[in-house]
Amino acid sequence: MSTLILAEHEGGALRPATLNVVAAATQIGNDVTLLVAGSGSDAVAQAASSLAGVTKVLHADDAAYENELAENLADLVMTIANDYEHILFAATASGKNVMPRVAAMLDVPGISDITEVQSADTFVRPIYAGNAMATVKSSDARKVITVRTTSFEAGAETGGSASVETLAATAASEKVSFIGQELSQSDRPELTSARVVVSGGRGMQDGENFKMLDEIAEKLNAAVGASRAAVDAGFVPNEYQVGQTGKVVAPDLYIAVGISGAIQHLAGMKDSKVIAAINKDEEAPIFQVADYGLVADLFDALPELSKGLDG
Amino acid sequence: MSYTAPVRDIEFMLNKVVGLDEVAALPGFEEATPDLVAAILEESGKFTAEVLAPLNRVGDEQGSSWSEDGVTTPEGWKDAYQQFCENGWGALSFEPEYGGQGLPMCVSAAVQEMWHSSNMSFGLCPLLTQGAVDALHHHASDEMKERYVAKMVEGTWTGTMNLTEPQAGTDLASIRTRAEPDGDHYRISGQKIYITYGEHDLSENIIHLVLARLPDAPEGVKGISLFVVPKFLVNDDGSLGERNDVKCVSIEHKLGIHASPTCVMSYGDNDGAIGYLVGQENHGLMYMFTMMNQARHAVGVEGYAIAAGAYQKALAYAKDRKQGKTLLGTSEDDQGIINHPDVRRLLMTMRSGVDAMRGLALECAASFDKAAKHPDADKRDYYQRRGELLTPMVKGWSTEFGVELCSMGVQVHGGMGFVEETGAAQYYRDARITTIYEGTTAIQANDLIGRKTARDGGQGMKELTTEIRATVGELEKSNRAELQVMAKRLGDAVEALEDTTDWLLKQDNAALPAAGSVEYVMMSGRTVGGWMMARTALAATASSEDPKYSDAQITLARFFAEHELPKVGSGKQIVTEGGESTISIDVAML
Amino acid sequence: MKVLVAVKRVLDYNVKARVKADKSGIELANVKMSMNPFDEIAVEEALRIKEAGNAEEVIAVSIGPSQSQETIRTALAMGADRGILIETEEELQPLVIAKLLKHVVEKESPGLVIVGKQAIDDDSNQTGQMLSAMTGWAQATFASKVEFEGDALKVTREVDSGLESIKVAMPAVITTDLRLNEPRYAKLPNIMKAKKKPLETIPVADTGVTTTTGLSVVEVNEPEQRQAGVIVSDVSELVDKLKNEAKVI
Repeated sequence: MSTLILAEHEGGALRPATLNVVAAATQIGNDVTLLVAGSGSDAVAQAASSLAGVTKVLHADDAAYENELAENLADLVMTIANDYEHILFAATASGKNVMPRVAAMLDVPGISDITEVQSADTFVRPIYAGNAMATVKSSDARKVITVRTTSFEAGAETGGSASVETLAATAASEKVSFIGQELSQSDRPELTSARVVVSGGRGMQDGENFKMLDEIAEKLNAAVGASRAAVDAGFVPNEYQVGQTGKVVAPDLYIAVGISGAIQHLAGMKDSKVIAAINKDEEAPIFQVADYGLVADLFDALPELSKGLDG
Repeated sequence: MSYTAPVRDIEFMLNKVVGLDEVAALPGFEEATPDLVAAILEESGKFTAEVLAPLNRVGDEQGSSWSEDGVTTPEGWKDAYQQFCENGWGALSFEPEYGGQGLPMCVSAAVQEMWHSSNMSFGLCPLLTQGAVDALHHHASDEMKERYVAKMVEGTWTGTMNLTEPQAGTDLASIRTRAEPDGDHYRISGQKIYITYGEHDLSENIIHLVLARLPDAPEGVKGISLFVVPKFLVNDDGSLGERNDVKCVSIEHKLGIHASPTCVMSYGDNDGAIGYLVGQENHGLMYMFTMMNQARHAVGVEGYAIAAGAYQKALAYAKDRKQGKTLLGTSEDDQGIINHPDVRRLLMTMRSGVDAMRGLALECAASFDKAAKHPDADKRDYYQRRGELLTPMVKGWSTEFGVELCSMGVQVHGGMGFVEETGAAQYYRDARITTIYEGTTAIQANDLIGRKTARDGGQGMKELTTEIRATVGELEKSNRAELQVMAKRLGDAVEALEDTTDWLLKQDNAALPAAGSVEYVMMSGRTVGGWMMARTALAATASSEDPKYSDAQITLARFFAEHELPKVGSGKQIVTEGGESTISIDVAML
Repeated sequence: MKVLVAVKRVLDYNVKARVKADKSGIELANVKMSMNPFDEIAVEEALRIKEAGNAEEVIAVSIGPSQSQETIRTALAMGADRGILIETEEELQPLVIAKLLKHVVEKESPGLVIVGKQAIDDDSNQTGQMLSAMTGWAQATFASKVEFEGDALKVTREVDSGLESIKVAMPAVITTDLRLNEPRYAKLPNIMKAKKKPLETIPVADTGVTTTTGLSVVEVNEPEQRQAGVIVSDVSELVDKLKNEAKVI
């Protein structure tokens, strides 16, 4: 038996998250098949075939898959699901959207957000915003899973030479149609894959002040994130949110500015390799997880930090 | 979060100790079942923590401000008040015929605790409205009630109580505000001071209840009448008419409750404010007295509510703050100052004190509920006597002790408590008014020894101590050592209280009991507080739901018995022996 | 049209979860439980839909122990019209929950089902999608805006790179994201009325749904604790440490 991964891609390229899922699949140990579903996605299928550890690429090209509609993707997965023991998705907005449909159609429980593969049937996943880690074991013939990408080191983009086979497309759902999107425009690295993340909290006081973080992010080639408090206060759009109900990040360096460190925020960033925190409240919980803490007014510290990074 | 409503503790006291089920069994209170009350407390806890508590600090820092055009409340207050009204919190205990929910006073008191713990300056506005509604409800004509009460129950209009004048504070006999008959109404002129929420921007209209004298009124307290003076006159169709001749000429700068505007009100600067007589002429003061118990009870609730807020702040600080190696910490990481025994003592005093005062206030409220709705007339009388007896203890003891506990809250914070930044100081400053308004502690003491004890020859007090002795008997039957300790302490306290009451009743020279009267309020408050805690311990012993919680209740009750009840014995000495030295000195030598 | 909302009783948002000593799960005895925050948003959205005249009735469904009645009462106090409790002492997985909800859907025929995108206890984020797959209804997850367009809905969704909007035919299943709305506080008169609103209890056995699955929890552990590091004295020391000690910039 083998493992099926639904690849994610946009703009003609694989999303980095897929590499993390391949890494998780490699740990499970079986052959790995990557399913590339898209519209005009030949290049993606080609790129997928060269990923290390991938033995086969199935490629379904149809307008139905252009916008990652869950109904269409799940239907496609179902045409081949019985050939696989493990079916993996990235724990992204897209993967979370599709995975439970597939699980329901196979009548098996979904296993969300795994952070560790203990064996082919036993996995670890966070519950209660990461305040506890549950080890779960599946006795089902098929295991349908989303993978927390930050918990698995990305596999190599090259080194593989998988065959690419065409898969017949399924009919598009008539119940749902895509209207449009408003994507945030940024030249910066994507939040979940950036090597450095600079995040602001309620302490930033308004959206305008996030420009100070942009300036620092620019110098560090970092992504900018935010706590839920900052998003709820309308300082920045929701896609900036790091935390239990937002994105989970684990960069090499996470700089938390004016973030108190509520447990729900920590859930989204505490696996970062190095955490630096700037907060004027020395009792802020963020300091309990920070490797380097600076007790200072961020409005003094940020301009200095920006200058310090020049030198 | 700056405030978390102690829903569980309130529910335990209400259900297991005071006995909400007995109240809910009374005709008219059938709706007040434990599950409904739990839902109410839960939602009230959420609202006060999330909406009112965050405005407490800004209220203190900004305060309300006065200008020619009126009084402006701090940022965010108007929205919060609107939400408060929309959610119906002001209407909890009022009669359904005017849009209220008709819930018992003990439930209302439980909810009001949360207003004052989270934001006392805010809580005062509905508190005053409630007093005004009570007065109108009992004494106004139906026509007058129709016109004013529903809007006040909604909170769309607020109410005020105008008693004090510059020369007439505690002694209302000397008030001078005049009311001249003018057709179907009166023209009011004069100045009133210390009018809480006399002017503000929270509501469309303000209904002032004003004590004033008619031209031909007899001298003294028998010549005072009560008038309704709306800020905006109310048309027959209920819409608002002209601005009345009443204005706020200044607001006081105060030690605490900065956001609650304390107004100097001027009536009749032009041609006289239009006022309408409530009830009969010259009965004003009597009308005020009928609602006095309620208002004083409400301020007593403020007394422990604010201490409950101070306790939460102190507790959080003591867990977090590390200073020196503690004697009680169990590990390197467990070195918060809460593990220093004396900080524990402060926190235990605060926590057990709040619990005891809550018990007293809810017991008193439940007595009034039974007095109002019990089918048996003798029981109604019994509980009316009980409620009236406990009221000066609720107001007198709970506010004095509340201030003391808020001071302990500052102490737990050390130097940081004296600095405004932590917020501990605000509780202390805000609490300080509670022993003064609605009758100072001395007035409560006067009420307790005079109207509530001497007048009935000590009957009400005797009934109370008999019940306390029954609880002592129950404690003695328990096989738990802590309850044995409580039996001893409570037994000693009730005996001291009885002895002191007997002594008071025997005195001919009124000055001696008066000199010890405040101490008498304190010792009776402590004894009843200890009684409530002992009953809490008994209830906890009987409950198997959550052993850790039950054990904590028993420990708190034991702490109260061991630390507060011994003071009742010394209270007896102070009252019975200390009067002479209080009054005998040559004043010229002071 | 009826709107069905699912509400789950979970450990209160403000209470820190503690792992039981025997590692069998989380300590839930004698701790504060509340409605899952995402479900509050679901209830609020359903009420707004009703208030806008697009629905006649809002039904709150919970699946759990008898105490889940309190959670339903909370929804009724917010304004839902009636409640259904599928009573079970077992902790059920999303797959089973979705099947039980389908059972209710078949009985009630709502035009719309709104559920939270995830429950803050098990953080699964599965139930809505599963229900959609089982019923064959359209799926609109992570909604931050719901607009009626004739007999269809335009739903704005929160995705990783921003927002996208889709059009779904009704009946549909919506899962709520945080910014969909701000749930109201229950009004006192409504809390009192909630007590008298109908609340039907159905024992889980009566639904005919099998509650066991092939997935079991082996054990639950505390996560690895991150140790606090050092407090630096100024920005230049911070930059120095990041460069030369941690070597991350």
